[in-house]
Amino acid sequence: MTAIDFPPARRRAASTTADHGISAHRVIGWLWISPILLGLASTLVYPTLFLVALALSKSTLGKPFRSFVGLRHVRDVLQDPLFVTSLTKSIAYAFITASTQLAIGFLIALLFSQLLKAGRFLVSLILLPLMTPPVMVGVAWKLILAPAGGLLNGVLLNLGIVDAPVSFLGDPVFAWFAIAVADVWQWTPFVVILSFAALSTIPEGVHEASIIDGASPLQRFWHITLPLVAAPLSSIYLLKLILSFKVFDLVYVLTFGGPGFATTTTGFSIYRRALEQFDVARAAAETLIYSLVIGAVLWPVIRIHQHLERKDA
Amino acid sequence: MKINRSDILLVAATAPIFIFFTLPIAYLISVSFKTKDDVLSGHFLPTSPTLDNWPAAFEAACLSGFIANSVAVSLLAGALTLLLTLPAAYAVLRLGIGGKWLGDLTLSSYMAPPIVALIPLFYLLKATGLLNTHAGLVMLYGFANIPVAFWLLTPFLRRMPLEIEQAAAVDGAGPFRILVHIVVPIIVPGIVATLIIVSVLAYNEFLFASAFTFSDETRTLPVGISLFQGDRLVNFGQMAAASLAGIAPVYLVALFLQRYLVAGLAHGGLK
Repeated sequence: MTAIDFPPARRRAASTTADHGISAHRVIGWLWISPILLGLASTLVYPTLFLVALALSKSTLGKPFRSFVGLRHVRDVLQDPLFVTSLTKSIAYAFITASTQLAIGFLIALLFSQLLKAGRFLVSLILLPLMTPPVMVGVAWKLILAPAGGLLNGVLLNLGIVDAPVSFLGDPVFAWFAIAVADVWQWTPFVVILSFAALSTIPEGVHEASIIDGASPLQRFWHITLPLVAAPLSSIYLLKLILSFKVFDLVYVLTFGGPGFATTTTGFSIYRRALEQFDVARAAAETLIYSLVIGAVLWPVIRIHQHLERKDA
Repeated sequence: MKINRSDILLVAATAPIFIFFTLPIAYLISVSFKTKDDVLSGHFLPTSPTLDNWPAAFEAACLSGFIANSVAVSLLAGALTLLLTLPAAYAVLRLGIGGKWLGDLTLSSYMAPPIVALIPLFYLLKATGLLNTHAGLVMLYGFANIPVAFWLLTPFLRRMPLEIEQAAAVDGAGPFRILVHIVVPIIVPGIVATLIIVSVLAYNEFLFASAFTFSDETRTLPVGISLFQGDRLVNFGQMAAASLAGIAPVYLVALFLQRYLVAGLAHGGLK
């Protein structure tokens, strides 16, 4: 807690300028944080209350809150096998992509940190995927994976590995793989930049001392580097998990949730239910359940992260 | 400059990484210069390069309109986010207003996927007459990116030496003057990085833009590109050209302001 120390009041009367100054600053301070409060109210408090009300009532897009129906929508959602499957898939997707990207990204950052001058250049270059609008990332990978005129099929055909073009996005397993690869392409750079920054905070002397002590590179990595970056890595992992739960654009462009419902994430199923079927009440119930599930899934990760932070402090 | 074995190993390890991260964009560029028949060949490079796709892409959809919409919305939204967040972050971190819980709550509000707010925000925009307007998107992105800006600005504000602010306060400067004349000049890199990142996030956003805009006058670029694939089916060459035209603005920003970007992101990850 750091507050600016204002000059102490010379007199204790309530009307002194100094006192007046401090209370005026409090007012300004609260005025300044009002956007955050308004933001929290409009993106957190209001949506939550609205969704609860919507989930408990009979509603159409044009006429919400027609009548109270209790937990009917919630029950329907929980009994919907497609929804439950989408939850499982979303959770699996988040953990698999976040873990993969943490591993690849950290290894790339280690590699780049060995390349003194070129490392910085490579870090800048790797920014580009991160900046690319996700919709365009989807388009680029779609062109690579297309059956007719796709680069991957062209290569496979020319090498004689396949006889006829393969429809990668038409296959339930490959389609997931395609979304994950596009996700890796887009977000691994983020992990690289943050890991690179974490690695660059390790003092040079630490490594030199361990080399003098005769530690092997592997020992140095395991006993020195890794513990020093454990806390930042856990925060990167948490951040990437959150971002993976937000995946939407890639699904929309690459597979539109297909083939069938194979790559329908929970987010995508809510989108379709709300904006294609206009079943806002049921979409609201799905949304609430989804939020609770994400909270429950992220909770242990957050606890581990806090534990590592405390160890660092 | 002596080349030894470990250098060669490093280059060998770096090459596939380099190829993987540049290939999709390189192929997009290549396809944008291919004729229809050439696309079907599946070769990496065009055999008889053509320039036709580029003007055709701009004619097939109101591409320039979409790009203009996106640029305007993202710059305004980025500026709004910064204007809202900078004083707020300063008040929370330096004036001790609202306490630690407010900062934590702000950051944790970023955890919920945007889809969660889709339906409530639809009704909010409908009620305020902001559906299908640029103002609606600017307001929405302006507020939605506050947690990101807060996260990015925090380390810059924390690292400021407190003595300067204290000296100014002793001289009788109020918080507003201290913020504008002392804090802002010192944390310019952080401000630039934050402005770029929140603007890019607004530029790239698709979910809300696709749900809350439904006419060509208001649609942003990602929405326009997504329509390219559906009802206005065009060939791959045009789609690649249109996508690249949309990517160009962000890449130019990344190229010229990369120093700020890397620094901003890197600091954000560290306490």
